[in-house]
Formats: sequence, C-alpha cells, structure tokens
Amino acid sequence: MSLLSNTGALLGKELRTEFRSRELLTTTIVFILIVIVLFSFTFDPTSDESRRFAPGLLWLAFLFASSLMLQPCFLREQHNDTLSALRLSVSDPFAIFLAKLAANTLFLLLTELLLLPLFAVMYNVPVVPVLHWLVLVFFLASFGISIAGTSLSAISAQARMRELLLPLLMLPLLTPILVASTEVTKSLFDRAPFVQWKGIGFLAVFDVVFLTALWLFGEYLLEE
Amino acid sequence: MWKRAMTGAIVLFLVGAAAYASFFIAPEEKTMHVLQRIFYFHAAAAWAGMTAFSVCFVANLLYVWRRSEKWDSLGVSSAEVGLAFITVVLITGPIWAKPAWGIYWTWDARLTSTFVLWLLYISYLLLRTLIEEPDRRALLSALFGIFSFIDVPIVFGAIRWWRTQHPAPVIMGGPGSGLEPTMRKVFFFSVLALHALMVFLIAERYRLEKLRTDVEVLRREAEAI
Amino acid sequence: MTSLDSVFAAYIIGWAVFFVFYLTVAKRTSTLREELDRLKNSLNRGK
Repeated sequence: MSLLSNTGALLGKELRTEFRSRELLTTTIVFILIVIVLFSFTFDPTSDESRRFAPGLLWLAFLFASSLMLQPCFLREQHNDTLSALRLSVSDPFAIFLAKLAANTLFLLLTELLLLPLFAVMYNVPVVPVLHWLVLVFFLASFGISIAGTSLSAISAQARMRELLLPLLMLPLLTPILVASTEVTKSLFDRAPFVQWKGIGFLAVFDVVFLTALWLFGEYLLEE
Repeated sequence: MWKRAMTGAIVLFLVGAAAYASFFIAPEEKTMHVLQRIFYFHAAAAWAGMTAFSVCFVANLLYVWRRSEKWDSLGVSSAEVGLAFITVVLITGPIWAKPAWGIYWTWDARLTSTFVLWLLYISYLLLRTLIEEPDRRALLSALFGIFSFIDVPIVFGAIRWWRTQHPAPVIMGGPGSGLEPTMRKVFFFSVLALHALMVFLIAERYRLEKLRTDVEVLRREAEAI
Repeated sequence: MTSLDSVFAAYIIGWAVFFVFYLTVAKRTSTLREELDRLKNSLNRGK
C-alpha cells in the first residue's frame, strides 16, 4: 500500500513541476509539428500514399520526440541534487520509477492526442471512426516507451554525452514498439479498418516484460 | 605462454578442420550446390555469437548480484567477441544472399533482428566508454546488457510476425525440416570449432581487461604519490 | 561472381574479421603491458 501512496505523492510532484512551466510539453509538441511538416516533403501525401506511410511516420515522430522528452527525467534531479533526497523519502525505489513513468506516459499521451487531429487533417487519414482503438494503441505504446525510456534515462543521466546517448540506448531497444504500433495503426487507417488484436496483445506483452524487469532491477539503477 | 600458444594452435586446427569438412566431406546440396557450403560457417558463427551474448547476459546478472570485478570483465569480453561473430554473420549473409536470392539484403525477420541485436551491443560497448567511474560503469552497463538481452526475443517476435524471407530453421525447426546426416555432422563440428574459437577469443580479451584494471590501479597509485 | 567465388569470399572475409579482432586485442594487450612496466618502474623509483 505504501508503494501506491508514495507513487501518488511523487506523481503529484512530477505533474506540478511540469505544469508550472509546461516546458517539456511545448517543446515536444513543436518538435513533432516540425517533423510532421518536414516528412510531407519526403513523399507525396495523397490519400493512398498517406495510408501506406502515415502510420510509420507518426510513430517515428513520436519515438524521436520521446527520446528528447525523456531526457530531463533524471537529469533534472541530478542538477538539483534531489535524487538522494528522493531515495531517502521512499521505502521502495520502485515508487520513484512508477511515478516518473506514469508522468511520462501521461505527457506522451497528451502530446499524441493533441497532435492527432492536426495530423489527421494534414495527411488526410480518417481517425474519428477508430478513435477509441487509436487511444488504446497510443496508451499501450506510450506506456512501453516510458518504461524503457525512464529506466534508460536513469542510465544515461550518469554518463558523458548524455543527450546523444539516450536515443542510442533507447531507439534500438524500442524497435518492437515501433513495429507493432505502426502495424496496428496501419490496419486502423485501412480502407476497411480492422483491429489487429495480436498487435495490441504484443504491445501489452512488451509493457509487462519491461515493467517486470524494471521492478526487479530498478533499485540498482539509482544506486549511489 | 606455452599453454596459450597450444590452445591457440588447437583452436586454429579445429577451425581449419571444420572448413575442410564443409568443403570436402559435406555432400553437395541439391538446389544451391556449392553455395550452400557457406551455411556451415554462417550459421555456426551465428550460434557461437548467440552463445557469447548469453555468456554476457549471465555475466551481467552475476555482476549485479555479486559485484565482483571479474564478472564485469567477462561481460565486456564476451560482448566484444559476440559482436565480432555477429559481424561475421552479417557480412557472410549478404555474400550468400546475393547469388541465392538475387539481393544482398532484405528486411526480413532474422536479418533485421540480427542487425538490431548488433546495434544493441554496439550501444552497450559505447555506454561503457562514456562512464568514467569503474564501479558505476560496470553496474550500469550490466543493467543495460540485461535489458538488451531481454529485448532480443521480443524484437525477433515482432519482426517475424509482420515480415519474413529467411529460410525456416533447419535445425530443430520441427518436422519436415532437417539436414542430411553427413551435413548434420559437419555442421555440428563447425559449431564446435567456432565455439572453441569464441572461448579462446573471450579468454584473450579477458586477459586484456584484467591487465587494464591492473594498470588503472597502478595509475591511481602513481598519481597518489 | 560464381558461386564458388562467393563461398571463398565469405570464408576469407569471415576469417579476416576474426583475425583482425585478435590482432586488435593483441595490440591493446602489448600497449597496456608497456604502460604497466613503465608505471611499475616509476613507482619503484619513487619509493
């Protein structure tokens, strides 16, 4: 029970920090906007072409954006020297990770949902009929990205060249997420949309596996 | 010194014998003829590389558990050797694919996941160069190694589900697959030879890592004076 | 390229990779050994 209440308190702290300045959300949104515009020059965004390329583009943009967004996650604690205080204040260090990854999932989901209408209009893909399924995919994928990304940002924060290192550690590790969510999104954008259950199950399995790994090894990531 | 040279000679002999066997003892394959002889090298190198990464994973786990320097040294040694083997796999693959499939590379499950695996261990070695403090370097890279190794089957599953061209596994691939008995013998001999080479290379690399920690200790001593 | 050439190319390049790897390990070992001797000498002189 103390794990949950600790997590709740820490999550509140994360959210307060972010919503005070909204730095992370604004920069990420602008970054994805830029990517979406730039991508339109790499192929002809007619309706048919869009159906083929848009899902991959969308997820690539989200993935790159998240590798930037997760950067300050532990770095901020390090700059302000608050990590040891944080460690002392909770009995289970897993709570720190849970709070951070819940916050990151929330931020990612928020940016994704804010940008979806714009993306749908610009790339001419019908999102309204399949919206609830898209939200499910967005959630499972963002959760997976956040689990792996949060643990890896704890690693990269302690190394040199950390800004460059995090994408290098994170992106190859997240290939399964990219493949699965792109394929599921593609079938949702199809002329005859359908739900790829195996893809959704796959994303869920990824989340469970890495959450378990984080639960087992998380405390070592924060060792002084 | 003498013992090391002997081991080296035995390994060299085994690898040479495996090559001889795959050229002259294994029978000619029906569809690919002589080309199929790459298989004994390519697939055996892949097996040895995977074994090296498994050794790396076990060493990573043991480091996190026991915190002894030797597990860290074994981890980095086997990762580097595994990378060398997978590099060989990634080079011999396209050489084989071009005459067999007509293309050097295809984004199919095994090729792509091997490539991702290669990238993951490159990142592992890169991470090690970017952390100064030895204990922290050992712990964090061990953790990243564990995450990477867990990721490998998931990457493979993902890519296998959604795209594919590589032949189905011929060894332990279920009924209908399988090698002719002589081919099988030659293949397992190749696997043995390349495993011997792998163990030898890991041992050599491990000695280097030991030497490096010795030098680091002495350097700190010299600086203290 | 004929099939036989491909087979030879694969084996030769493959062995070359292992050989180069072994050489880099040997090279790094010898540089470290030199440094070890140098450090030992300077430490002995310091005493």
